[in-house]
Amino acid sequence: MSVSNTLLAVFEDIEPAADGIHKLHELGVADENMNVISGIPIRPAILERPSAVTRVGQIALAGAFLGLLLAVFFVWGIPYLFPLDAGGQPVYPWPQLLIIIFEMTMLGLMGFAFLGMLVDSGFPSYTPKEYVPDISDGRIAVLFSCPKDEQKKFVDALTKLGAKSVEPAEARQL
Amino acid sequence: MSAIAKALPRLRPEEMEDPKEHLMHDPMPRGDMNTMVLDSMHTATWKYWTVVTILAFIVVTCLGYAWYYLIMQGLGVSGDDRPVYWGVFLVNFVYWIGISHSGTLTSAILRVLKIESRRPFTRVAELMTAFAIVNAGLSVFMHMGRVWLAYWMIPYPNERTIWPDFHSPLMWDFMAITTYLICSSLYLFLPLIPDLAMVRDRSKGWVKTFYKILAIGFRGTEGEWKNLHLAMNIFAFAIIPVAFSVHTIVAWDFAMAIRPGWSSSVFGPYFVSGALLSGVAAVPIVLFLVRSTMKNMKYFLRPEHFDTVGKMLLIISMIWAYFYFNDYIVSWYGGDKWEKILNLFVQTGPQWWLWYLMLFCNIVVPWSILWRKKWRQTPWLMALVGILINVGMYTERYIIVPEMLTINRMPFTWHSYIPRVEIILTIGTFALFLLLYFAASRILPLIPAWEVQEGQEGHILRKIGKARIPTISEID
Amino acid sequence: MANDLNSPVKMNMSQDAQGKWGMVIDQDLCTGCQACVAACSMENNVPFVGEVDAGYGRNMQWIRIERFWSGSFPDIKMTSYQPVMCQQCHKAPCEPVCPVYASVHSESEDLNLQVYNRCIGTRYCANNCPYQARTFNWRDYQDARQRPELVTLQNHLNPDVTVRRRGVMEKCTFCIQRIRHTEDTAESENREIRDGEVVPACAQACPASAITFGRIDDPTTQVSQAAVTSRAGHLLEDLGTIPHVTYLAGGA
Repeated sequence: MSVSNTLLAVFEDIEPAADGIHKLHELGVADENMNVISGIPIRPAILERPSAVTRVGQIALAGAFLGLLLAVFFVWGIPYLFPLDAGGQPVYPWPQLLIIIFEMTMLGLMGFAFLGMLVDSGFPSYTPKEYVPDISDGRIAVLFSCPKDEQKKFVDALTKLGAKSVEPAEARQL
Repeated sequence: MSAIAKALPRLRPEEMEDPKEHLMHDPMPRGDMNTMVLDSMHTATWKYWTVVTILAFIVVTCLGYAWYYLIMQGLGVSGDDRPVYWGVFLVNFVYWIGISHSGTLTSAILRVLKIESRRPFTRVAELMTAFAIVNAGLSVFMHMGRVWLAYWMIPYPNERTIWPDFHSPLMWDFMAITTYLICSSLYLFLPLIPDLAMVRDRSKGWVKTFYKILAIGFRGTEGEWKNLHLAMNIFAFAIIPVAFSVHTIVAWDFAMAIRPGWSSSVFGPYFVSGALLSGVAAVPIVLFLVRSTMKNMKYFLRPEHFDTVGKMLLIISMIWAYFYFNDYIVSWYGGDKWEKILNLFVQTGPQWWLWYLMLFCNIVVPWSILWRKKWRQTPWLMALVGILINVGMYTERYIIVPEMLTINRMPFTWHSYIPRVEIILTIGTFALFLLLYFAASRILPLIPAWEVQEGQEGHILRKIGKARIPTISEID
Repeated sequence: MANDLNSPVKMNMSQDAQGKWGMVIDQDLCTGCQACVAACSMENNVPFVGEVDAGYGRNMQWIRIERFWSGSFPDIKMTSYQPVMCQQCHKAPCEPVCPVYASVHSESEDLNLQVYNRCIGTRYCANNCPYQARTFNWRDYQDARQRPELVTLQNHLNPDVTVRRRGVMEKCTFCIQRIRHTEDTAESENREIRDGEVVPACAQACPASAITFGRIDDPTTQVSQAAVTSRAGHLLEDLGTIPHVTYLAGGA
């Protein structure tokens, strides 16, 4: 690949941003060389973008399974290690197992959903990133890379479609 | 045909509700919205600091010192006795767990059902959950005879080679509340991340560093939103059964015991409905306080939101009455000797007025006020209803714990209960709750600006026939 | 295995224990003199809670004499006295509710054990005891630093029984220290324990001999024979707790 440059185009609203992304597609920027940064979640279809891949669901399910195993250990494993008689109840009770399984499975599910969100998004990270504070004011930024020598063409095209600014993206401290 | 036309009076345009009354149809640029939220966080008048100082003083004395005194002296300074081994501390515990259902559960249900008017006030409610669970935990610790050994309930390999006993309902409780505390804190944090990023972008100096750490590097890329959205969805669906289980297990603490009055199979759902009632009733109180004391909140928190909460409250009050009647009729009809004595004691004993207070606050008040939209949309009235329902629910727990413990199957041991140091500590927990809330209102953005904007993008006024009808398009 | 040290089931009870124990109380003989209450308190280091706390209903005696009357004034008739202590239920409601295994069951002896140093004071067991037999240390009643009037009373403590501190639940143990002592004596003399050899403090102090103690797994003992007479009954039998204290009444 030839020398490429990363540009950050900032749009005021969803409509021009969608047009801009359409234009970028026309100019030959592949979807994987593009990213949208926005202040609110926007459906990928609105911006003609493929849906992002997320592994949060799988990680959460794995967590739920871990929680289930932990619950079985708590309710049946502990009495196996230290059998103590209490109140004439069975040492390996079913009803208690179900209750603890429910709680621990849910804890695993949600705890790992959170961890999955962190891991999959690379949080927490405090390294410099391409970003402009305007985004949390509702602006939409399109981050894309283009060949360095054709940069002018891209800037003009997007400015015509209503981009507020199209500038080389620089990573800065958030 | 003409009969129908006559029966329906013609709706004149001026009689129609102004769509602008709804926050979702009264959009504002996101930048202005951010400024308003930040403004409300940064405006702290001398009144605010006075209240905070007073609350901090109450927390230090009524909670800190009184608890120290309680621990050093033992539970003899409380009003507990034989047979009332559980007193106001356990009442507080059940009460605060109930309050904790205000936020997470309410917000999760509204989120799952996609009720749009939830958007501005979910966080105001969710914050209550976190602080209420803190108070519930403190109440249990106050209640324990040897609180310095409370960590013995944590299941971990230890040098004592003794594990907790999962036969005990208290252990289920411990696991359920731990799960609920962790999950609802995370559930509070997830939608907060974009807002923290917003505050980060607009602050300077050490404040910026603080929010930078909290915002964990969120930018708002497609992948980040997708992950966040999915995680929030998982939480919203999963936390509803967890919240139900938490209060069911709290009810089982009582129902598993072989005591007249407690041993009832309807206690689980009955307690859940009670928790919902007191929890949801706490929402209008906080909404009213936030709205009337904090800057710019009148834009975000509107009568329509009180209306939403009011409708929920009316339904939940009916559900509560249904379960209470269930519990009551079975014990009344069964005619068991001890149940009979107990019912007689509750309704005609020395504290008979508590029973009538409970019925008045939990049934008469909501049923007579909440059916009318205009009243539901009056913030101060809703706050008053909320306070009364909370009084009623506190009374209900007081009847269930110390009053029902007074009567047991060994009449020789019957002994009444009068709270002592518990009263001071109860004041302390309430002050702690308010203090935490006051502090949070200046640190965390109380309004999820991004959710409000997301909602406003999806709402439009569509012309159907001669009227403009509010509609919503699927945006999330 | 180190675990065995912490497991009463495996340690003492199953190997050295010599049977299941029970008690018979003859209500027709009981005079309500409270001698058993005093003897129990002395034997088991049960603290005196003082006037104020007693007024709050915090008496800590492990055994109490319940007295009732029937009819209304002036035609009042006293009913028989009813000494109540821990009934040592076979299916004890107090046991499974403890989150930290402080109230466990000795399978071989069929006694409810209360492990003081494991108790964290949730008081659930006391709530779930239908006989209200459990008592709670509301304060450091035995601590002479907190109660100067106790200084001279320190010497009365029984060295065989733990002194409990504040925040701990306790209850009648059937004078387990006496059971152990007798077991040890019998073992050293290489013989079985004789019927009536183990005498709890309450039975020893009873001037009317209303309290009998012995093995219930041996049909020839006094308690086993008394328990099958038509006068025998149990407290709150309908709850299915299977108590090991039998009450005899109605014979005259």
